[in-house]
Amino acid sequence: MLVFERIQNFFEIVLSMLGDPVAVAVLFGSVLLGIIFGAMPGLTSTLGVALLTALTYSMDTDLAMICLLAIYVGGTYGGSYSSILINIPGTAAAAATALDGYPLACKGEGGRAIGLTTTASTIGTIVSMLFVVSISPIISHFALQFTSFEFFLLAFFGILISGTLTAPDLVVKGWISGFLGLFLACIGRDRLQFFPRFTFGIPELDSGIEVVPVLIGAFGIPQIIEVLKAQTQMAKAKKLQRIIPEFSTVMRNIPAIIRSALIGVGIGAVPGIGEDIAGWVSYGTAKNTSKHPETFGKGELQGVLASETANNACVGGAMIPLLNLGIPGSPPAAMLLGALMLHGVTPGPMITFEHPTFIFEIAAILLLASVAMWFTGMVLAKQVVKVLFIPTQLFMPIIGVLCIIGSYSLGLSVFNLFLMLPVGIICYFITRMGYPIAPLVIGVILGPMADENLRRALMVSQGSFLPIFQRPVALILFLVIVFTVISQFRWYKRLATMVKDKLFNRNPTPRT
Amino acid sequence: MMEKETLRKADFFSGLAVCLLGLFIISQGLKMPMKDSWGGVMNVWFVSPALFPLFVGAMLVLLGALLVRSAINSIGLAGVREAFVYLGSHRLAAYLREEETIRFYGIVVALLGYVFVLVPSVDFFLSSVLFLLLFFTMFYCGDHAHLLRTLYGMGAGFALLIAMLALTLDKTLATAIPFPADWLVLCYIIILIAFNINAFRANQEDRRKLKISLIIGLIAPLTIGVIFKYFLMVPLPSEGLVVALLDAVWYADFWS
Repeated sequence: MLVFERIQNFFEIVLSMLGDPVAVAVLFGSVLLGIIFGAMPGLTSTLGVALLTALTYSMDTDLAMICLLAIYVGGTYGGSYSSILINIPGTAAAAATALDGYPLACKGEGGRAIGLTTTASTIGTIVSMLFVVSISPIISHFALQFTSFEFFLLAFFGILISGTLTAPDLVVKGWISGFLGLFLACIGRDRLQFFPRFTFGIPELDSGIEVVPVLIGAFGIPQIIEVLKAQTQMAKAKKLQRIIPEFSTVMRNIPAIIRSALIGVGIGAVPGIGEDIAGWVSYGTAKNTSKHPETFGKGELQGVLASETANNACVGGAMIPLLNLGIPGSPPAAMLLGALMLHGVTPGPMITFEHPTFIFEIAAILLLASVAMWFTGMVLAKQVVKVLFIPTQLFMPIIGVLCIIGSYSLGLSVFNLFLMLPVGIICYFITRMGYPIAPLVIGVILGPMADENLRRALMVSQGSFLPIFQRPVALILFLVIVFTVISQFRWYKRLATMVKDKLFNRNPTPRT
Repeated sequence: MMEKETLRKADFFSGLAVCLLGLFIISQGLKMPMKDSWGGVMNVWFVSPALFPLFVGAMLVLLGALLVRSAINSIGLAGVREAFVYLGSHRLAAYLREEETIRFYGIVVALLGYVFVLVPSVDFFLSSVLFLLLFFTMFYCGDHAHLLRTLYGMGAGFALLIAMLALTLDKTLATAIPFPADWLVLCYIIILIAFNINAFRANQEDRRKLKISLIIGLIAPLTIGVIFKYFLMVPLPSEGLVVALLDAVWYADFWS
């Protein structure tokens, strides 16, 4: 397809969405709901997408996608409200925002900070949308050359890298979490020979574990337990003044915003890494490259802009591997994948053939959601911050009811609940012990892909692993996996330090 | 997340649990067809359904062992011994009686009761109203002593309901009264409300909180239930007393 045709196609989709009043109403409503979800400490955009997956089950795919992507975009941005105004991040993605956002609010510049973060988040989302449109066809075309070995290695790499980067404590715990997810994915009849695995004679397990209830349990239940157990008392929110940002300030910060957006897209595109890591990496980069790093943490506007731009740009970044390879780039993207599967859309290299305009539709929704987010942020910010006064003890139990009815409604099966709650309670305990949840979720989602492709590949090669070394992409993926694993060993780190010392003629670094 | 030293001690146990899970997966995997015929297909190792579970099991054993090793390296054998001593010590008993731990029991018992007892057998509206009121009165209104009293009452209520369902008394009673489990839960809700009104009689702030709790506790399930049942056309997990009443209202032909 020619570039001109692509652009024309994209704007036709945008216009057709704008021409549908229902779509526009759903867009603005979902963005607002997302902002509220993001703003309320304890509620996350992942949980928002999870709950709306149940509500949008009966909608047509396009409308459901508008709803889910809008809540994802709104939720990622909404976290900044509570970070800036009460010093409690509404979502993990906005944790870095609180470092400079709250000091700004204390100086009486909370409104200005929110206005600028709204604009920066909008720019971040639009930049990421541009990447979705431009890079997707290339990746998709490239992925068409993949055989089963590549898909197996890709799924395995996704789980491994997600475990490596999201582990808050030891990397090995991230990997264990990923393999636990792979084990959960083994449950049910295997898809090649229909042999029942780990079903223990329970007929409800024959079709395997329902992904969405497991995701709702994994993300929702630990959150409910954590918030109610801690009995967090909200601080009094700082007052908002003028919100609409000065044009000159925005223009002055454009290079920083673009840099943060690129970081966000890049991190979003890595499988399983969420908006929180994008926010922290971008914040760290802004601090390291600043001429006045000492001002960071004391109310530096660039710190707030860096984290907020990156976390919203991560949304589009996460869409790139999701749409083209079927591998979610972040936990909310994992939920989106579950929702897409419920609607009969299977993302992957074939998506451009099966649904030729789908990627444009997603890009169009991202564009419109970011614009809706800007308008909603500018017009309703003063009203939205009022939700910060609602005690968590009142809305968390309601979220519990929504998690339960949502999980049930996705298959009209009470068994889903019997699965969702134990998974949720186990996830609470493992989170407390420093195991990340994201690799587990990615493992549950990518497990069938890894299993089927490994066996298919071996079937074709008659049990030989040699093709891994004969196919360039497979070899690269294999080497990256090996590197990811060995880079965690202490002897490798020592060796790397020694080599660096030798190369740059430095005195040997003292061993710690 | 826990403190670093506590984490390492927990790692020792979680690593062992992961190893055991891995061994269990391998033992189950070895029972799957590797070379035999299954469904008319002659197996070879590389298409066997056991291949992936064996791989996952082996990796879990390996990673679990690594975690155990790292825990022992970090806290030493003395630390491991200390962790075992802790399991039988009065410090653990004290931890299990801490306010935060009791709040955890409250949350988990309410969730388990809601999912495993109420939702499958009691009208969705009634079970959700009870669930919300229990949560609100435990965590929003009152103090820790009130939470404890509610927790005991909740345990007793669930035990009564489980006994009724286990002895199939609901089926026996259903011949005389429709929806007996629903009536029991309704009575429980009324007792819970009366108990709370009495408990918060003297304190104006708690009275205000109880009023808010009652309003939200009644409105939220009704809103959620009506949206799912009548707008999204999702049949509720258990439809009883209130759903029958709502059906009568919703499907009533007022114009004929």
